[in-house]
Amino acid sequence: MIYRVRHVTRYRYERLVTLCHNQAHLLPRDTRNQRCLDSSIQVTPAPVTAMEERDYFGNRVYRFSVETPHRELEVSVLSQVEVDLDRNGTPVLDLGATCAEARERLWREGDENHLQAREFLLDSPMIKTGAALRDYAAPLFADSRPLLSAVRELTSRIFGDFAYDPEFTTVATPLEEVLENRRGVCQDFAHLAVGCLRALGFPARYVSGYVETQPAPGQTRLVGADASHAWFAVYAPGEGWVEFDPTNDNMPGAQHITTAWGRDYSDVTPLRGVIFDGGDCQEMTVGVDVERV
Amino acid sequence: MTDFHSGRPFQPIPSQLQQGGQATAALNAAPGYRPAVADGHDEVYEAGGAVRPHWRYLLEGLAALGPEVLAERERKARRILRDDGATYNVSSEPLASRIWELDLVPQLIESEEWSHIEAGLIERAELLDLVLKDIYGGRELIRHGIVPPELVYSHPGFLRQCQGIRVPGEHHLILYAADMVRAADGAMCIIGDRAQAPSGVGYALENRTVMSRVLPSLFRDSHVHRLSGFFHQLRQKLMALAPGDAIPQVAVLTPGSYSETYFEHAFLANYLGYPLVQGGDLTVRGGRVWMKSLEGLRRIDIILRRVDDFFCDPVELRGDSQLGVPGLLEVVRAGRVVIANPLGAGFVENPALFKYLPAIGKFFFGREPRIRTVETFWCGDEADRARVLAELPQLVIKPAFRRYGQHSVFGSDLGAAELALWRRRIQDAPLDYVAQRYQVSSRMPALERGALTPRPMVLRSFAVANPTSYTVMPGGLTRIGRASDTRVVTNLTGSNSKDTWVLASEPEKQLSLRRESTPTGAPSERGVLPSRVVENLFWMGRYAERGEAALRLLRTLFLQLNGVEPLSDGARRVLLGAVTRVTHTLPGFTVADAPFATPERELKTVVLDAASPGSVVGSLRAMLQAGEEVKELLSADTQRVLNDLRDELEALAEQLGTEQLVAPEEALDPLVTSLLALAGLRHESMFRGMNWHFWELGRGIEKALQLAALLRATLVPDLAENDIPVVVESVLLTCETLITYRRRYRAEPDILHGLELLVLDETNPRALLYQVQRLGGHIAALPAVESGPGLSRAGRLALEALTALHLSRPEELAALAGEAGRAALDQLLSRLETLLIATADMLAECYFDHRAAQQQLIAADWGYGQ
Repeated sequence: MIYRVRHVTRYRYERLVTLCHNQAHLLPRDTRNQRCLDSSIQVTPAPVTAMEERDYFGNRVYRFSVETPHRELEVSVLSQVEVDLDRNGTPVLDLGATCAEARERLWREGDENHLQAREFLLDSPMIKTGAALRDYAAPLFADSRPLLSAVRELTSRIFGDFAYDPEFTTVATPLEEVLENRRGVCQDFAHLAVGCLRALGFPARYVSGYVETQPAPGQTRLVGADASHAWFAVYAPGEGWVEFDPTNDNMPGAQHITTAWGRDYSDVTPLRGVIFDGGDCQEMTVGVDVERV
Repeated sequence: MTDFHSGRPFQPIPSQLQQGGQATAALNAAPGYRPAVADGHDEVYEAGGAVRPHWRYLLEGLAALGPEVLAERERKARRILRDDGATYNVSSEPLASRIWELDLVPQLIESEEWSHIEAGLIERAELLDLVLKDIYGGRELIRHGIVPPELVYSHPGFLRQCQGIRVPGEHHLILYAADMVRAADGAMCIIGDRAQAPSGVGYALENRTVMSRVLPSLFRDSHVHRLSGFFHQLRQKLMALAPGDAIPQVAVLTPGSYSETYFEHAFLANYLGYPLVQGGDLTVRGGRVWMKSLEGLRRIDIILRRVDDFFCDPVELRGDSQLGVPGLLEVVRAGRVVIANPLGAGFVENPALFKYLPAIGKFFFGREPRIRTVETFWCGDEADRARVLAELPQLVIKPAFRRYGQHSVFGSDLGAAELALWRRRIQDAPLDYVAQRYQVSSRMPALERGALTPRPMVLRSFAVANPTSYTVMPGGLTRIGRASDTRVVTNLTGSNSKDTWVLASEPEKQLSLRRESTPTGAPSERGVLPSRVVENLFWMGRYAERGEAALRLLRTLFLQLNGVEPLSDGARRVLLGAVTRVTHTLPGFTVADAPFATPERELKTVVLDAASPGSVVGSLRAMLQAGEEVKELLSADTQRVLNDLRDELEALAEQLGTEQLVAPEEALDPLVTSLLALAGLRHESMFRGMNWHFWELGRGIEKALQLAALLRATLVPDLAENDIPVVVESVLLTCETLITYRRRYRAEPDILHGLELLVLDETNPRALLYQVQRLGGHIAALPAVESGPGLSRAGRLALEALTALHLSRPEELAALAGEAGRAALDQLLSRLETLLIATADMLAECYFDHRAAQQQLIAADWGYGQ
């Protein structure tokens, strides 16, 4: 399946911005089942320096500086991405390592992938694990149960327990508050699941990307279209990283396009930066289109 | 004496041995000094009680000097340190800094032992350099299971943004420091590594400078290894980091005068000859780093960093940092600026690494490192954690990541409840803690009220990368505890420092930075300063004048209030009102119900209230603060005057007393004298460069503004006939013009002649015309910022002020115009005030950095686009 993704971010400032330095995680990376065929990024006003590099996690990061004084900054990304239909293969959730085995193998086997995955067991800037997260998920993760089947149920449970409410949270809302109030958006649900899994001893990471805006006839339109989307992946010794989407209660398939992954949102913030001047008010709008080619 | 290369220990000559006996006697006689400590090693005494040979000469020398001379040398040392501005800031209040303390008994290390220590430090620096390169490179140490992944991944000093950064040359770890204590068996043992931005090299050099001045012959005859070679290598290494072929421009990056080691930043910048900059002095444009100077942007190629790495770039690292340079990391990645130590280097300070160093040594070198390290347990390791929890009362708990204000905790100090608390903390976040076996440090003598008393010591040694390996400073910074049983010896908990003498067996050849033939930059580039510096000089000048004007007026007031002739109510009101208006300490004496009869309390507030910006203390503190910001430019003489001022300010509250004011004007005299000394010094010794012009502009503008305010408050109102002489006399006295007046006019002071002298006299430095006339020349000397012919905008404003003065006639100014008093005078003064303020604003706009407010791009709200 080939998609065309258009992602436009526009900032408006109260006063002229004289200089800005920014970093964008907006260009889709290649993954095991996805290839970015083509992508371009257009910044207005034109940047004086710009460079695409790989970050620590292997994501594509685009850093640019604008020295032209401006009241409005537009970052427009156009990408063509080919996604394999059998993205997750045919994951057989009920086979594979049990929770106990997964944990044990992770620590016993000196496998390089295991060692690296252990980075995703630790607390990260936006996800601090604790008893509340562990208690929420623990009943699903009996030692004898296959890990992936338990994670799939966690995904459903979050979908069922939590209300999708864009008014409730911001980037700064702590995880405990999300858990307590049972509402949030895709980023919150992804963080929540990652936090639960880490609390239980399973490496998990945050994935950012898109879902298809206009699905093919007969398929439902997924929540999170028209915007950046987020979900998570868990590391299962033997199977590697397997993805789940708690906002849509499914496993990302051919309708999900990955941009980047990291420990949490802070590693892959779509746009961050520092501006000089600009007054006290900033306003941001974002538009995303994902279409089949 | 002995052959250096044979490695034989220093043997004192027989005469020294004899006198050495005396020294020993003197030492033993010193009350409180217990040569042999029960629980450790003594630097001076062997186990049997004999003085170690390499200490004999020094002890004999100190004994020969005697207690009185030593006390005098101690005072001299303190004076030099104070004059050099050597401080260590213990709080975030820069003026509350403490003078650096130096004990006159140096730490002595003989050559042979030193060569072992040196080899061990070089090896450790090499090893930590490999660790640094590995964790930001292939992370083979993790891949091969040498260190657990969590050791790296959980450490806040591991900055993922720094993955893959390259540093020209062999090493990434440019500067390294190690804290060492001497174990009971006499071996040096490392208790901490410093790799973030190791501090202490400047203090070590300052200690050495002071020691060589206060104990010159002892120092000379002891054949002490020199430190200059280390600094030479530091500079060579910085130059070698240059990305291109052109002569590199280096800057020292400091967090500013609030930093605890700010003295050292200024000292190092001066000694090495590089500008001292703050984050705001630098900007990233066009993919390079630039310094904002008066002459425009100057390229910076190399940054010697004294700001912790996570503060250095708010775009990618801590977003709320105001100490960094936005966009810096991307310039580093592109190789267009090199930072020493590189960003991310803080990780290798992680004391949890201690546990794995033997294995890391084997992995990289095929053998364990030789230098001893204190036994360390990492709570992230299950077996270690169990052990730590069980043996906590015998261990020292340290955070794996050093944060400001976090100190080591001694298990033996903790009660049952605290132990339980720490056990819980460790269990909750085991990765964040290490525990070390408490290493008793050796004792050495320190001078305490003329007697040698034993103190525990820690030695900080420094290494700098050279083309093939590391150069270790022969010596270092020794710190001693406050009491004989002090366990933590860090600067913050109040320790004292010592020079460290590595004793050579033969004189060394001289090598000093000043002799180097290589220029430190193209001539045109030298002496270029960040514009923040000239801005501070400008304000330093303004605050100095503001303080002086207030002081002079208050002094006059106190004299007149306590004079033989009682002041009439009218004169009293005018003069007191002038105090309030000149110092802007409203409402003060400008309201009808002000305490005109008993003004002492309010006057004291005008002197002492630091919270009020116009008070004497307020202005002079602001002046000292501006001086602190340009510390690296101030001569020792200037520093001395500023120190005096600071002391006088502190003593002022006491001098003015809490009760009735007795001759209060005398309490103000020393401050006036110091301010005059400052002005005189600057006048006599400042180069007539940009610094001078801005200093003079600040002073001139403020002086004129203060005088205008004074004249408006005193001479504009329609004074009663009887009050005129005393008011004019007071103004003349305040402006140091009374004597001239009397000589010239031989009459009772009147307004017309007063105005002639104070407004329109070209030869009186305290007259408006004199001050305003000189502004134009200084402004003309500034670099042009506007294209086209003619005067600059600031120049035009100054000329307009001058013209207004030239066009005035004293008779018109003195003339009364009904209720409004002297309207023409008021108009002129008010016009001058407006023009002078506009001139100052224009200078600020053209030359000072209006650092645009830096802010973060707002983060995307969750659920945006919905």
